[in-house]
Amino acid sequence: MARLVWWGTARAPAPEQADTFAHNNPMSEDADARLMALIDRIALRDEAALKALYDLTSGKLYGLALRVVGKNEWAEDALQESFLQIWRSAGDYRASLSPPMAWLGLIVRSRALDSLRRRQADGTHQTHELDEQMAETLPGDAPNPMDVSLASQQAWALHQCLGKLENQQREVVSLAYLRDLSHSELATQLRLPLGTVKTWIRRGLDQLRSCMAHFA
Amino acid sequence: MPAGGGATAMNLLKNPERLDRLASAYALGTLRGGARRRFETLAREQAPVRAAALIWQSRVASLNELQRADEPAPAVWTRIDNLVRADREQQTMAAARAASPAPKPTGWLRSLALWRGATAAGALATVLAVVTAVGLRDQLGSEIGALQAQLAAQPQIEYVAVLNDAQASASMLVTFDPKNGRLTLQRVGGFQEAADKSLQLWALPPSGGPRSLGVLGQDRLLQLAADEPDVREVPTLAISLEPKGGVPSERGPTGPVLFTGALIQKMI
Repeated sequence: MARLVWWGTARAPAPEQADTFAHNNPMSEDADARLMALIDRIALRDEAALKALYDLTSGKLYGLALRVVGKNEWAEDALQESFLQIWRSAGDYRASLSPPMAWLGLIVRSRALDSLRRRQADGTHQTHELDEQMAETLPGDAPNPMDVSLASQQAWALHQCLGKLENQQREVVSLAYLRDLSHSELATQLRLPLGTVKTWIRRGLDQLRSCMAHFA
Repeated sequence: MPAGGGATAMNLLKNPERLDRLASAYALGTLRGGARRRFETLAREQAPVRAAALIWQSRVASLNELQRADEPAPAVWTRIDNLVRADREQQTMAAARAASPAPKPTGWLRSLALWRGATAAGALATVLAVVTAVGLRDQLGSEIGALQAQLAAQPQIEYVAVLNDAQASASMLVTFDPKNGRLTLQRVGGFQEAADKSLQLWALPPSGGPRSLGVLGQDRLLQLAADEPDVREVPTLAISLEPKGGVPSERGPTGPVLFTGALIQKMI
């Protein structure tokens, strides 16, 4: 029922857009099938498959961890813990019904957030350091820095829609999710007025909602 | 649930745009506090609210897939590989214990006896060489892996220990060949004692004080003579830092204990 209501109405209005993204993304199913086969083998305790998965995805997943924690050493710890978790829980992958990179990405973000919180609990000067770095991550006129290699179909859709946001909106929306930050935490870390952050997030989400509706 | 909650749910279900807005803010994580809890309550009660939340969680999570790739240091894979091996060995050991009759988990002595039983029964074909692969330093991991492979190829080696320092970094690999009465020590860490000091190897038997097994020279690869009774059923080895030439066995270590590790009988 819910699927019909929320997904069924959306696909029809923008066929040209659906075409575009299907056309742009011819390799995704192949890549997904390869990654899924590897995860299945890992579930059977195949260490060579873990290495193969690492070789294919570690760059991408490390980039994600780095974006969450902001420091090479911490990102490497998070990546290490993530792959140990992948090794132990590969058998649960199929039940998640997720595209493989989505499943892997959730694990890595979660481990990276754990690591970030542990370090923040350790000492405040480190978070101050992170704030400095955060403030520099908003150059304002950077082009869309998103990267779609290995991305699932759904991530392609989000990528298209994020591309329509202003750079700062996109950045604030991304950081809110990736670092699990509230409006006021974002305002503090980015040194922006709270009202500005709220407005950017609200507008960003509004635009995403109308755009994502085309992809369902 | 109170009537108020139901009324809110009804309002929300009649207003798909508002539901969508709340669901997207919920998924992004910017819906906080009481508003977040109320939304979660509604989602548990109303499938359409739950569906909207799940759809947006999945959409927003795509951000994870869109971050620019970067190159992790090569050491990261080595560490993962070490952890995975340790994980496997722990499982193998647990399986061996489970498969053995009447295990009495009272320390190393009994474990050793148990493992011998498991070997005799042919339950294990693995060389259980390293208990603590966790925390190995990067480049050491591969070095130890290579040594393990070598060891596996030498059937006369029956006892193995990896001695770690306080940071759980492997510093010394010890093997014992009972046939030839020879202890072989391989330095795998960067530690080098000062010229006026010596490292001394001790057996720590389950009862009685530490027993000296010998004093180490400065080389990376060292050999000491030892008889099997000196080594058999010793659960732990330790290395202390002593004055040059070491101290008498009866007195026990006088300097700091730098490295310790469990001595394990190798499974054939």
